[in-house]
Amino acid sequence: MTDRAGFAALDPCVHCGFCLQACPTFLATGDEADSPRGRIELMRALEAGELAPDDPCVALHLDRCLGCRGCEPVCPSGVGYGRGLETARALLAEHRKGGVSPLARLALAALTGSGVSPVVYRLARLLRASGLPRRLAGWSRIGFAMGMLAATKPVRRLGGWAVRRAADTLTAHPPNRLTVWLFRGCIMDGLFSHVHDATIRTLEVNGYAVREAPGQVCCGALHAHAGLPHEARTLARQNLAAFGQGGADEPIVVNSAGCGAMLKDYGHLLGDGGGDAFGARVKDVTELLAARGPRPGAPLDVTVAYDPPCHLLHAQRIAEPPHQVLRAIPVLRVTSTADAAQCCGSAGLFALMEPAMSRAVLAPKLASLKAARPQVVATGNPGCVMQLGAGLAAAGIPAAVRHPVELLDESYRTAGYYA
Amino acid sequence: MTPPSPSQSDSLVDALAGIVGARHVRTALPERMTYARDGLPTHRRVPGVVVLPGQRDEVIAVVRLLATLGVPLVPRGAGTGLSGGALADGDAVLIVLTRLNRILKIDPRNRLAVVEPGVVNVRLSAAAAPHGLHYTPDPSSQTACTIGGNVAENSGGPHCLKYGVTANHVLALEVVLADGRAVELGSPGGEPWGPDLVGLFVGSEGNFGIATRITVRLLPVPRAIRTQLADFDSLRTAGEAVSAVIASGIVPAALEMMDQSCIRAVEDSVYAAGYPRDAAAVLLVELDGGSDAAVEADAATVAEILRSHGARAVRTAADAAERERLWLGRKKAFGAMGRLSRDLVVQDAVVPRSALPDVLETIGEIAARYGLTVSNVFHAGDGNLHPNISFDGRVPGLKARVDAASGEIMTACIAAGGTITGEHGVGLDKLRYMPLIFDGDSLAAMRAVRRVWDPEERVNPGKVVPIHACREWYGSRNAERGTRNGFAPSGSAFRVSRSAFAP
Repeated sequence: MTDRAGFAALDPCVHCGFCLQACPTFLATGDEADSPRGRIELMRALEAGELAPDDPCVALHLDRCLGCRGCEPVCPSGVGYGRGLETARALLAEHRKGGVSPLARLALAALTGSGVSPVVYRLARLLRASGLPRRLAGWSRIGFAMGMLAATKPVRRLGGWAVRRAADTLTAHPPNRLTVWLFRGCIMDGLFSHVHDATIRTLEVNGYAVREAPGQVCCGALHAHAGLPHEARTLARQNLAAFGQGGADEPIVVNSAGCGAMLKDYGHLLGDGGGDAFGARVKDVTELLAARGPRPGAPLDVTVAYDPPCHLLHAQRIAEPPHQVLRAIPVLRVTSTADAAQCCGSAGLFALMEPAMSRAVLAPKLASLKAARPQVVATGNPGCVMQLGAGLAAAGIPAAVRHPVELLDESYRTAGYYA
Repeated sequence: MTPPSPSQSDSLVDALAGIVGARHVRTALPERMTYARDGLPTHRRVPGVVVLPGQRDEVIAVVRLLATLGVPLVPRGAGTGLSGGALADGDAVLIVLTRLNRILKIDPRNRLAVVEPGVVNVRLSAAAAPHGLHYTPDPSSQTACTIGGNVAENSGGPHCLKYGVTANHVLALEVVLADGRAVELGSPGGEPWGPDLVGLFVGSEGNFGIATRITVRLLPVPRAIRTQLADFDSLRTAGEAVSAVIASGIVPAALEMMDQSCIRAVEDSVYAAGYPRDAAAVLLVELDGGSDAAVEADAATVAEILRSHGARAVRTAADAAERERLWLGRKKAFGAMGRLSRDLVVQDAVVPRSALPDVLETIGEIAARYGLTVSNVFHAGDGNLHPNISFDGRVPGLKARVDAASGEIMTACIAAGGTITGEHGVGLDKLRYMPLIFDGDSLAAMRAVRRVWDPEERVNPGKVVPIHACREWYGSRNAERGTRNGFAPSGSAFRVSRSAFAP
């Protein structure tokens, strides 16, 4: 048995059930075994030895958890569900025949492996450039994967939303610029380098000097969630070394909610002060922008549905800053859907490992988006961009999915800030 | 004779799968274990089989099948009940109704809604909101609990002080009886003929069958609302203030009390509402009505009464957002009890409002004597107490002390002229208290009524009426020591024997 640390976080659960309706998988199946409360029951039984960690039925229901942690902010007793799940998954991985599933291993290598992933991303970008994925997007397994890839395609101009080109003077960068370090990550760098570009440009306009940290690697979130804490720790130490060269308290900026949640949690992962200090430096790009206003750009005549990533809203409890970023764009309208705060079903490798549940979780969100008719769905996490993009394409809903900083970037470009 | 455990019976499982689909039948131990508790987790029973029908017709087919095979069944909603009422033993099939969650009709002109039993309470109000209507009974668990469960338990809630409990809001039901027949009770149009069978069914704790279609009243959202928070230096003065408010003749929409331990648990949580942490107790008083002026006048009167009865301060919610915060804190208080200790027993008793100050003091004394932490959060206006006992179940012998203290608290409430449940039901948890307030004849009468609906006592067996205490088992002893119940004098000729119900 591993240490009880993670399981201890489940102790405050008094079984009130106030988490049930916040759980996307419970809403999809109505089954207590697919709810936070039911999974806590399973985890408690695992710890007590009433259930075996190699029981496939226990694994089924714990694997089917998205890890969205939507249950945590509604829990009156502050149960640390995510902590318990992490410990349980590590325990299951230890006892799983052959360890972590081959599919998960393959995906981790393809998406995060230092040797393999650059090749994978290069091929993916070539395929993406061919325009084929957009045409093949659909509900089949291949079609959905194609839709996900298509959703990563950069759009040089977001379209004819500029109301007018503002006669704005290109101001000099503000004095006393604060140095921040860009966390590039794996998927973000491989398929979303345009979001990194937008991040750098918009931060520069708001008085930040963005620097690169060579030697950085994947954040390790996918490993930690797959029950591979050792691999995650190795990656974390590499990142500590890479960013250690920077000023001890200079912020590390991240534009992927999943990576941000992991990086902020390095203290817990590594169990040392170095991890804590690193975590304290990590800021989501919207946090940094919001701290400076951000500076308003030119109007964009567009309707946007903001869809908060779970790892931003629930794990990092960042709710307002993305809205502040969107509010810096005049005319832009934010439409809200009732279930925006609910997980889209992407959840890291979840869409790959549990496709049926992933689609079931996505379905109600697509229905609300169809009714709300936004032109753009904005969300700050690569998995969510791909999941929502593929879903919208398959359902024939004509909305693009973009990171909020892409919209701000477009507004700034229109304003002439980059002239 | 005990039937073989259903989980062992392949033919039963196959037949269930044939009705609802294999993926909606749960037989694996881990899955069944997740259904072993409800909101009162000190009770634990692992069901034999769990089945999740998705349609009314599937419910009927499942119940028919079980009737044919003579297998016991237990209906369950969201499992937020607080009396162990929705637990099933290994020889029974648990019928989970969460998938029957469709709102079938909202009729704003006639102010009613028709829902399936798995609809979550708060979702019905949300669906009615665009019409300026809401479903009024608001149990604290309303964000999770189902209307079907509310019907089974005749659930209350803060606003039931003025508007009545679930029974006052259910117009008609479609009920699947133990033998699988579906019957219509009541009428959406108004009071029906004959005895009030809807009233009889509501609160039957799953003993009379399964409601598959529920027609409820919707009420307009009040035009004027004032929510006040008053804080006190002592529980006693807060209790006296409650009596004074009620005695004034004003009927608040809700009148709730929380003690210091509860206040602090809530203030430590994400639902922190701004209750003063140093107060011994707070009262949450809501007044509502059709006109601002009238409600304002009542609110001023109530504030004056509260101040003159020792309130340190009376604060009025400035807007809807603050009102919601004040209420969320109150409604999530039970769930916040996990902050005090890992295990929790919540009690549910009613005392006359006039007895509140004394009973609260007695509860405090009992807790002190047993060395236990008791937190009180309750519907003060109805005298409906909810003492929460927090403890660590891993400490040897502590659970027994908690049970003993619970029993003493209950006895004290009964001695003060109260009764053993206000809204949580009897279920499993309060079986042991039933003989304290009902004699053998009364219990036998209850059992007889139950057998009209379910002659084999196969639906939610072993709940509500303690069979061992019924007249034919226990009656003579009860008769000797006299009854505590004025409605069924001892020596009554009313007798129920088992043979009377033989087919």
